[in-house]
Amino acid sequence: MSTQAANPLATEFELELDKPLTAYWLAIVRVLTGWWFFHAGITKIIENGLNFSYGPAYMQQMTGTALGPIPVWMGNNLGWLIAPGVPLFETLIGLALIAGALTRLAALGGVFFMVLFWVGNAGFGHGLVNSDLMGLLLFMTVLVLGAGRYYGLDAIIEKTKLVEQNPKLRYILG
Amino acid sequence: MTDTNDIVDRIAMGLSAALFTLGIVVLGIVETLAGKPFGAAPLTNDAGEVIATPMIDPTIRTGLVIAGLLVLALWGLYKVATPLVEETTTQREMTAD
Repeated sequence: MSTQAANPLATEFELELDKPLTAYWLAIVRVLTGWWFFHAGITKIIENGLNFSYGPAYMQQMTGTALGPIPVWMGNNLGWLIAPGVPLFETLIGLALIAGALTRLAALGGVFFMVLFWVGNAGFGHGLVNSDLMGLLLFMTVLVLGAGRYYGLDAIIEKTKLVEQNPKLRYILG
Repeated sequence: MTDTNDIVDRIAMGLSAALFTLGIVVLGIVETLAGKPFGAAPLTNDAGEVIATPMIDPTIRTGLVIAGLLVLALWGLYKVATPLVEETTTQREMTAD
């Protein structure tokens, strides 16, 4: 990277959105975010299989949050889904982001998880912007920018005839 | 169709941005100016007694952010439900030589 004394902004370090640096960094963000969730999910599976009983209990104690009675209701009535679903979906979301396949759909799932973690953990001692909200922002960034197109399988999937004939599939790919 | 899309897009982006900014930044400034606790959780002493509580209930602030996310979710559903805007292509005439 070089700098010019006359114009410090005129460098070789290109930041335009269609340049390789952006593609490289979006791929890095996507893969590392994916690994984060994959690790969280697969270690739960290794320890407890598809029976994460803490999941329903965690949601049952989420009283007085901005989500109202929804988490408590889910904890009381959807335990059959939450106990296997948390480790399974965390693992699948992670794998999807690492591979860059069905990226937007997986990132949407990640946003759903992180909203629950952000509100449920309520670690607001240093303000609302904490690591849970940062995780939420990472998933939103991957979703909005369609980061699966950069060194991910979605770049190939989006060129298939199925997607060309059904372009709305790009809303869950990318 | 394009005009309607433009308006919906602008409302969705503007409203969600306003909700995010209000919940995190604007009310964060208010909370900071109100004094301790500067965060959004009650402050306790070594004995575990609460010595200061946030001026604004964090439920309200997180609710504003979640409302912003809901706006984006509804916007996404709207985009899925409405027809895609066809990309206009202009063809240039090519000469044989």
